[in-house]
Amino acid sequence: MSQLTINNVRIAGMSACVPATVEDNRTLPIYKDENDALKVIASTGIERHHKADDATTASDLTVKAVEGLLAQMGWEPQDIDCFAYVCTSRDYIAPQTACVLQDRLHLRNDCCVFDLPFGCSGWVYGMSIVGSMMSHGTLKRAILVAAETNTRNRNPLDTAVRPLFGDAATATALEYDPERSRPMNFMYGVDGSGFDAVWAPYGGMRNPVTREALEEKEVAPGVFRRGIDMIVNGMDVFGFAIKQPPLSLKELIATFSIDVETVDLLLLHQANKFIDEKIRKAVKIAPEKTPYCLEEYGNVTSASIPLTMVTRCREQLAGEEKHCLACGFGVGLAWASMEFYAGDVKIDEVITY
Amino acid sequence: MNIQDFIDNFANQFDDTDKAVFTSETNFKQLDEWSSLTALSIIAMVDDEYNVIIKGSDIINSETIQDLFEIVVKKVRK
Repeated sequence: MSQLTINNVRIAGMSACVPATVEDNRTLPIYKDENDALKVIASTGIERHHKADDATTASDLTVKAVEGLLAQMGWEPQDIDCFAYVCTSRDYIAPQTACVLQDRLHLRNDCCVFDLPFGCSGWVYGMSIVGSMMSHGTLKRAILVAAETNTRNRNPLDTAVRPLFGDAATATALEYDPERSRPMNFMYGVDGSGFDAVWAPYGGMRNPVTREALEEKEVAPGVFRRGIDMIVNGMDVFGFAIKQPPLSLKELIATFSIDVETVDLLLLHQANKFIDEKIRKAVKIAPEKTPYCLEEYGNVTSASIPLTMVTRCREQLAGEEKHCLACGFGVGLAWASMEFYAGDVKIDEVITY
Repeated sequence: MNIQDFIDNFANQFDDTDKAVFTSETNFKQLDEWSSLTALSIIAMVDDEYNVIIKGSDIINSETIQDLFEIVVKKVRK
C-alpha cells in the first residue's frame, strides 16, 4: 500500500476563475427535447457549466486566479518558491505550461515550477507532491494550480460529454508553517488497464495527428468525435467510479485510524451526483458534510475539489480548523485520497474571466 | 444466483416499460426506454446486488438479459 504523511505544510488561501459564458443543459442543441435534457440533469445533477471561448486557455484562466490569490494573500510573485500546474489542456505540446506561466506571472527565475498532467485526481496528487517538497522547509510558499478547459478538448457534438464537463482554474496557496500545520495523509491508486476509459487517442507519439485524426465521425447515433478529441467511455468510467473511490477512502480511514464522526467535510471530485452520492453513502458521511458545486459548474476535472472549496466552503474554511477528507478519481485510471485539516483559509469570491 | 431475481432487478431500472416485457430472452438494447443512462443504472444495480462491476463491453456484448446474467454469474464465482 503506497501511503504518505506530510508535516509542516498548511493551506493558506484559495481562489478560482471561470469563463463568463454559461451553457445550460436544458437548452443544449444536442437533445431532441427538454425532456431528454431533464433526464440527464436528474441522473447527473449537472445543470450547467462555464465554457471558455476558442481563444481562452486554461493558463489564461490561471493568470486571473493566481493574481487574485496573490492579492488576497498579500503575497508578491517574488515570494513564491514553488509553482505547480496541474493541467492536461496545456498551451503547447512543448514546453511545459508552467514555464510560460513563470514569465506571465512574474515569478522568480529560480522558482521551482513544473506541470503535473493529471486529470481528476490531480489536486490530491498535486497536494501530496508540492506538500512533500515543501515539508523539507526550504520552500516556504507555493501555489498549486488545478485548471482545465475541458470543453475545448472534447467534441461539442459528443452527447456523452457535452452536458457534463466545464472549464475552471483554481489556485491553492500553501505555506510552510510547523506551528500551525497538522499532518496531511494520502493514499494512492492506479489501474492502467483502464487507460482507454477516458483518453484522447491521437496527438501523442503513439498515434500522431494525421489528416484522418482531424475528421469528425459519427461513432454512434448523434455522437460525433475526432481522433484528437477526449473520449469518455461512460460505462467503464462509471463502473470504476462507484467501486475504487469508496475502497480508497475506506483504506485511508483504516490506515490512518480516522474517526469518521469527526470529519467535517467530505470533498469529492465532482464527477456526477449519482456517483458521488454512492461514494458518500459507502463511507457513511452525512449529506450536509458533503458539498457539491457540480450543478453550477459541471465536472471541471482536476479543478473540481478546490472549486467546491472556494464556492461552497468559503465561510467554513475561513473559520476554525475543519477536518477534511478528499478523493480525486478519473482519467488514468488514477485516484488518490487525502485527510487534512484546513482553517483560517483566505478565500475570495469566484473570479469571472 | 437466481435468473428470476436478476430479471426483476433488471426490470426495476426501467420507469416506463411494462415489467411483463422482461424475460430471460428480452433483447434489452432494443427496448424503447433503453439509453446510456439505463446502462449506468444496470451497472449500479449489479454492483449493489451482486457486488461485482460489469464493464461497458459486457453490456455491448450481451444481447439478452440471459447473456448478461451469465457474465455476472461468472464474475461472482471468480
